[in-house]
Amino acid sequence: MRGSIGRRGFLTGLVGIAGLWQAVEAHHSTAMYDMANPKTVKGTVKRFEWTNPHAFIFIEVSEGGGPPVEWEIELMSLNHLRSYGWVRTTVKPGDVITCTGGAAKSGAPSMICAVVELPDGRKIRS
Amino acid sequence: MTHTPNRVFRRLAWVALALPLAAATAAAQGPPQGAPRSPYQEAGTLPARIMDFKVEPASIRPGQSVTLSWATENPRSVSISPDVGRAAPRGQMTLSPARTTTYTLTVTGVNGTQSRAVTVTVAGTTAAAPAAAAAASGPAPAPRALDGKPDLTGVWGYGAGPGRGAPPPAPGSLPRTPTLKPGAEKYRVQRGPEDTGLYSTCEPPGVPQTFFVPYYVQVIQSPKYVVILHEYLHLFRVIPTDGSAHPPDPDPSWMGHSVGRWEGDTLVVDSVGFNDRTEINGYRHSEALHVVERFRRPTRDTLEYEAVIEDPNVFAGPWLITRTFPLLPEFNRVDEFFCENNRDYKPLFGK
Repeated sequence: MRGSIGRRGFLTGLVGIAGLWQAVEAHHSTAMYDMANPKTVKGTVKRFEWTNPHAFIFIEVSEGGGPPVEWEIELMSLNHLRSYGWVRTTVKPGDVITCTGGAAKSGAPSMICAVVELPDGRKIRS
Repeated sequence: MTHTPNRVFRRLAWVALALPLAAATAAAQGPPQGAPRSPYQEAGTLPARIMDFKVEPASIRPGQSVTLSWATENPRSVSISPDVGRAAPRGQMTLSPARTTTYTLTVTGVNGTQSRAVTVTVAGTTAAAPAAAAAASGPAPAPRALDGKPDLTGVWGYGAGPGRGAPPPAPGSLPRTPTLKPGAEKYRVQRGPEDTGLYSTCEPPGVPQTFFVPYYVQVIQSPKYVVILHEYLHLFRVIPTDGSAHPPDPDPSWMGHSVGRWEGDTLVVDSVGFNDRTEINGYRHSEALHVVERFRRPTRDTLEYEAVIEDPNVFAGPWLITRTFPLLPEFNRVDEFFCENNRDYKPLFGK
């Protein structure tokens, strides 16, 4: 048995809890994404990959006056998206959408998205 | 209208994740300053809505049919009355009402319940009286197959288990967690902080773990076979119930070799012949893994499941996992799930 649990152990334990949760809720853990500091990006849809084990939206984002950056937006699997009411045409190339979720800890323009705001302003789980 | 059980459990799990993550944030960064809300917490607050509900054509002659179509977003549960019952978030179906009928779509979400109605006029008839609320007559009985056995056929949702709404183990039942044999500690799975989890490789989870992923399962029963179709990864099991035996030395495989038999109203499935590449609730195992599963359908809407796990190389004795799977009458098939777009997530961790 372990003795005292330091902060690292505490956090590892939490990761374990998150991992256990993920085991029943998603295809992989979200440990590679910074879920504690939500990120919101807004951009124009370039393409929508309606695929398993995850769907992906690629959007072109202009932030801070720099050149546009293509963000890779990871969504849940098709089974879960359908249960939220999604179909493969819910977003289309050219749509301007806003995604809120956790961005990659590496700083890469990649995130897992929990909420998508569609062009007409309605929000849908993702 | 009751909530779809799997959705309730999913929401509970979201909360279960969000709270420890919030605690971790606080522990790592001190008191929050305008603490951000977890994106998944926000997702859990999104209102359900009816996007569309229509019937075409709206007027028919007796004997003709209409198409009812609907679309909802962020629902917890969807139902249509009369004649339909639970419904998928989106769908369409053909109906032939004998008389003028008003159909009501009801959607329940975090924002309560919303309804929308459409009426089909059937020429020469009067409107049917609204259906009286069903009398509380207890749960519907399980259907029976022609041979008299309970018919397990159906699409089943992912279910409840310890920590997810299942009752505690009965006194004297097998332990819910294993005791490792001396020297078998290496079989306990230890995940590092950059381990993306059991399922991120798209390898088959094996038996019984494939029942514990959040994807539906279809059971098809015949007098000689029970076939289990897992939506997740297209994994299937063909289980003869005609007295067939295991082969003497089955090749190790991901889903093993299974044979079934009926003990009264319980389907007992005995499985061997596994490879050693899967996990069961956080434990690896050897090729000597032996799983005995029991399936019961005590009511129309419930499939009870238990798996007794044995591995003489790993565990000190047998242990038990149980689940209760809800019937999903709104579905008649599982979806395609081909793991075609998996990612290497290692580069996203960074340093």
